[in-house]
Amino acid sequence: MSIGARSLALARARVGRPARAPSAGVLALIGLGVLACVIVAAVAVGSVAVAPGDTVGILLRAIGLPIGRSWSPAAETIVLELRLPRVLTAIMVGGGLAVAGAAFQGLLRNPLADPYVLGTASGAALGAAIAVLIPFRAVFLDLGLLHVLSFAGALLSVAVVYRLGRGGGPFAPLTGLLLTGYAVGSLLAAGLAMTMFLAGSNLRQIFAFLLGGLEGASWLRLAFAAPLIAGGSLAIVARARVLNGLLLGEEAAAHLGVDVRRERAVLLALASLVTAAAVAVAGLVGFIGLVAPHLVRLVVGPDARRVLPLAAILGAILLVLADLGARLLGEIPVGVVTAVVGAPFFLALLRGTRSAYEL
Amino acid sequence: MIRTRARRRPAGFFLISIVVAVVLAGCGAGATAQPATVGPSPTTAIAAPATGTPLPASAAPSQSPSPQAATYPLSLTDDEGTAVTIPTRPMRIVSLTPATTEILFAVGAGSRVKGVTDADDYPPAVKQITQVVKLGAVDVEKIVGLGADLVIAGGNGFNSPDSIAKLRSLGIPVIVVYAADVAGVFHDVELVAEAAGQAAAGTALVSSLQGQEDAIAAAVAAAGARPPRVFYELDATKQIYTFADGIVQDDLIRKAGGDPITTGSATVFSIPLEKLLVADPELILLGDAAYGTTPAQVAARPGWSVMTAVKTGAIRPVDDTLVSRPGPRIIEALRALALAIDPALTLPAVPAPSTAP
Repeated sequence: MSIGARSLALARARVGRPARAPSAGVLALIGLGVLACVIVAAVAVGSVAVAPGDTVGILLRAIGLPIGRSWSPAAETIVLELRLPRVLTAIMVGGGLAVAGAAFQGLLRNPLADPYVLGTASGAALGAAIAVLIPFRAVFLDLGLLHVLSFAGALLSVAVVYRLGRGGGPFAPLTGLLLTGYAVGSLLAAGLAMTMFLAGSNLRQIFAFLLGGLEGASWLRLAFAAPLIAGGSLAIVARARVLNGLLLGEEAAAHLGVDVRRERAVLLALASLVTAAAVAVAGLVGFIGLVAPHLVRLVVGPDARRVLPLAAILGAILLVLADLGARLLGEIPVGVVTAVVGAPFFLALLRGTRSAYEL
Repeated sequence: MIRTRARRRPAGFFLISIVVAVVLAGCGAGATAQPATVGPSPTTAIAAPATGTPLPASAAPSQSPSPQAATYPLSLTDDEGTAVTIPTRPMRIVSLTPATTEILFAVGAGSRVKGVTDADDYPPAVKQITQVVKLGAVDVEKIVGLGADLVIAGGNGFNSPDSIAKLRSLGIPVIVVYAADVAGVFHDVELVAEAAGQAAAGTALVSSLQGQEDAIAAAVAAAGARPPRVFYELDATKQIYTFADGIVQDDLIRKAGGDPITTGSATVFSIPLEKLLVADPELILLGDAAYGTTPAQVAARPGWSVMTAVKTGAIRPVDDTLVSRPGPRIIEALRALALAIDPALTLPAVPAPSTAP
């Protein structure tokens, strides 16, 4: 009997799986269909009207179908160079954050955990704010100093939190890690506040990063982020069984044959890598990483093998829709949209759902 | 006590139905809605190529406001030191700052301006032009949709560097301007005029502006007064905001016969009250007068009564729109500031505008 099957049996015994839950495969198919529909909608709509037929034509021609060009070059530029990379980036970032969020929630056995819980957000924000203050303009792969420093800041702060919190001190390892994350995050937040105070007229740029946004998306940036996010997310999904084991507690997981320390370190590293790459290209997009995994668990129960892929699909759908809303409302920060639309939706679901689960 | 509930639809249906409803709404919008159409119909919404071959001659507006022929492709260096090549005479110009819009109109390129910002208000004709900047956010898609063949942007963070980089990556030439003093504004007038193919008009405008500046400078020098310490108030509702060091308004106040009190930093625009008290302004200019700040309010602020300006009642409103806009009306701002600093000053009459709108 495999680790996964046993741990799943135990997980079921502990929290119960909703009776008559729809099959995960069916849900995944529905989700992918919805995602495809959302992609078409998001590419078709924008501040400039491009006829729907033209949009489809441009996309089909771009993937090599022999279709005559009946549209203007400007329409083609808008669809292929502006909207498509942006929508694909939203899919990557939304999906990646949802997977990372699910991983952090499982690892820390804490329903309030999100991808930013171990200092990633404050580290990235401080890195970005410092980059704004440094008058250095070199750009590589469409990535400026801001993206590089926010990526590095996110990884660095998680590394510090892990080193300091691993011992646990007087607390159990997980509590120690969470508290260390909180302390380091507070310290970094103070640094961020100081940097923002010094930023003067550049404050707007820092704010834009803190609220998240996809307006800077481009093919080159996607080429940087996509391998990290997709690779990291797939590696996490491949470890879903380990995550199920860890969900039962360290001892139980150890009895199931999981090398708890090692697997926890690997999963933390992967989830942090995914988060850092997402944050570097899109800023601090909130809510998706916290809520998408919960929404999925409410439907299919806590089995990580179902939760992780479905959360990725749902996260992608949510962020593409949120970014579409942000664009149509005049480039307002996408983080505002995810929270304003997401929070009531989440509340409604919490109230309307009877099948409980625990982390 | 355990509460029991009647059987409900599984949560899954609830979730799915909401997501599907949202998405169907989205797809419906995709199929039918055409927000912010820039042309009369979807097929003509996209006006001209941004990156492709030049427009056929028939599609371009037939007459140009100025008969002079600049030679294109034209290579220029903008205020950030970027070399910009403009392939053909620009017919669809987008201006991302109110000041550069004013420059374009003043040098006779107004009819070719196809995109402006939501802050543009001068000349009044700009109100009819498509807005591509709203609340500081540049709508790159709309600029591409307009078929822009030249974009004039503001440097030093006025327009987001990301948007400028994106426009350039799409092959649209972008000239970034930033003036740190009045001479810099004149240079920008000539730069923008040249980029728009109106170099001669730009040179003529600058020589006229330079003449007016010299006349004001002569009048200020003739008055011979010691420059008073001037505090220009941008806002004081919460923190006190004034000009940073080394910006064009700093230079303007000097040229208008004042000694500006600035923040002591090139990037910070706020000044602590303590520092302002030590600097002891002899004259307070209210750039926020348009927002309802009055001299009486200033005098009543706690701590302000010890300032020389408050004691002598030297608190005067000025038109901040004029002062804060580094465009061709900068000399009007200079004139207004000189008169605000020394109301007894006699300035030469304003010459009639030499260029057509």
